[in-house]
Amino acid sequence: MSATVVIARQQLLMLARRRTFILMLGVLLLMTALSGFIGWSSHATIIRVYDETVRTLTAAGKPAPPNPFASKPRLALLNNMIIYLPLIGALVAIVIGHISVMADRQAGVTRAIFSRPVRRSAYFWGKLAASAIAVAAIMVACLVLSVIALTLINSGLPTAAEFVRLALFYGLSGLYLMLFVLVGAIAALLTRSQSMALFVAVAAWVLVTFATPQFTSGLRPVASLNPVTDPVTTTNSAFFRATSKAKPISVGEQYKALSSRILTAGSRFEPARTTRQVAPIAVFVLLLGGWTSLLVRRHDFSEGALRD
Amino acid sequence: MTSRTILALAGHEYRSAVRSRVLLLLIFSMVVITAGAITIASYDFRAQLADYHAYVRDATAAGVTTIAPPQLFPLQLLRGVLEYVQIIGAVLAIGLGYLSIARERTGNTLALIMSRPVRGRDLFFGRLVGAAALIATVLVAAAVVSVILIGTVGGQWLSGTELVRLAIAFSIGILYMLLFYALGTWLSARSTTLANGLVVALVVWLSVVLIIPQIGDTMDPDNQVPGGLFTALQVKKPDEKKILANFSTYETIRNSLEETSLTKHYERLSFAVTGIKDKYNGKPLSLITDEKRGDIGWIALYTALLGALMWMGLRRESATRRES
Repeated sequence: MSATVVIARQQLLMLARRRTFILMLGVLLLMTALSGFIGWSSHATIIRVYDETVRTLTAAGKPAPPNPFASKPRLALLNNMIIYLPLIGALVAIVIGHISVMADRQAGVTRAIFSRPVRRSAYFWGKLAASAIAVAAIMVACLVLSVIALTLINSGLPTAAEFVRLALFYGLSGLYLMLFVLVGAIAALLTRSQSMALFVAVAAWVLVTFATPQFTSGLRPVASLNPVTDPVTTTNSAFFRATSKAKPISVGEQYKALSSRILTAGSRFEPARTTRQVAPIAVFVLLLGGWTSLLVRRHDFSEGALRD
Repeated sequence: MTSRTILALAGHEYRSAVRSRVLLLLIFSMVVITAGAITIASYDFRAQLADYHAYVRDATAAGVTTIAPPQLFPLQLLRGVLEYVQIIGAVLAIGLGYLSIARERTGNTLALIMSRPVRGRDLFFGRLVGAAALIATVLVAAAVVSVILIGTVGGQWLSGTELVRLAIAFSIGILYMLLFYALGTWLSARSTTLANGLVVALVVWLSVVLIIPQIGDTMDPDNQVPGGLFTALQVKKPDEKKILANFSTYETIRNSLEETSLTKHYERLSFAVTGIKDKYNGKPLSLITDEKRGDIGWIALYTALLGALMWMGLRRESATRRES
């Protein structure tokens, strides 16, 4: 068995034993299961609200407007996942990245590993592979839960096209979460304190999830939590015109926009637009991956005990 | 309980936190982010103010004698800042609570403190006063930056009444953050491994600050369509109320869900005081206090609960650390 495989296996075992990781994962899976129910409940109510509105308007002799939900695809019931994954999923990803580096350093395992003929690159690839496998497993679990929720709500299995869309959505989400795995790992490699590493990673997450969309789309922090809120772009100041130019590289917004297209828009793929939306996420993952690799190669793993 | 001991402990808490790079990082992030939020809103405000002045000039030139006052309220620019206090302020406070326990454990200073004539109550109130001073420092910095940016970028300086309302809103923010500080202290004190306590506190924060309000918001029928369902259906407010009266059970469930979130009560109260919620704009504070007594009651309940939990956490920490 190669060193990469041994390192990856050890990290996966370590993750499975961490109660904090299991707790966060539990919250994510619970919210995934609830997402379908919340979507169904809101949708059923709003249809009844529309029917009631039509009755009220007809009684008053006014024309009834068309139903804004008539052509809503069935996958739109899951659009809360577009919010839960960047919130809960990203924090789970940060914890994966954090544990992948910090746990070894804290236990002094890195000193033992590098006393053997193990290459730094094997260590990096082992950690990256384990993190990617963990993220993939979480996405598969979320996919299964979403399929179960849709089956129960719609009284039938999703169609093949819907299944492909769901798979694409969770594939994209996995790529997005890898970004935060790397953020967690980089923060852990740059600091000697566990708390500092966690806070730096959470600060980066706040920047991506809340602060950047406000600058690029005028989206207030709380408005970012609603999957159907339109950006508040009433402002047309020179300052906002300048900051909004950064929107194409605002990874959080690109993820949400593309996810929304996959789950709620029509069936058109639009390769050019899709590439434009995936590219910043992929580029950031590659850049952060390169930085992590560099840090692993240069890090002094013979260090003493870490601070809590 | 002696006030000198409490002040000494509070001073220790404050100085230790200021020396910590984590605190400086958190304060810096908070101030930069709130400055960004207020700058964007202020630029927008200035443009609206300029439009109004142009309208006044045109109307005066056309001989119009009665000109409506501007419907622009500078305190409403604080919305982004208050939302950041709601989200990031809570994390910052959890971090302060965690660091307070982490410092004592890693420096082994609690045993030293407990070797002096210090009682549990002194430790509890000392930490609370120290934390309140720290949080006040962060929020005063954010408030000062906000006032300056509204005046310089937005083009309108706040009046005395508005400053009082701003001070009240930020004082509510201090209390709100202190509650999360108590949560961070309690969970860190009861964890053998400190980082685990921090992660659990972050999970609680995620649920209370983000998930529960998010569920409540997305269950709101009016939030299902960009711009609002009833606007899209061209339904006027009285008809909207009449229609929603048929969904009282659903609305009760949705509202009850939001009621469990401390964050939602903080938001409702601070938005009412600052007039961000249009319904309360320009209304006297006595009326707002009366109408928001439910939110005030919930915040008081959470204060009692988290205060008790922090008290228990510190007692446990003191006993455990003395033994060790």
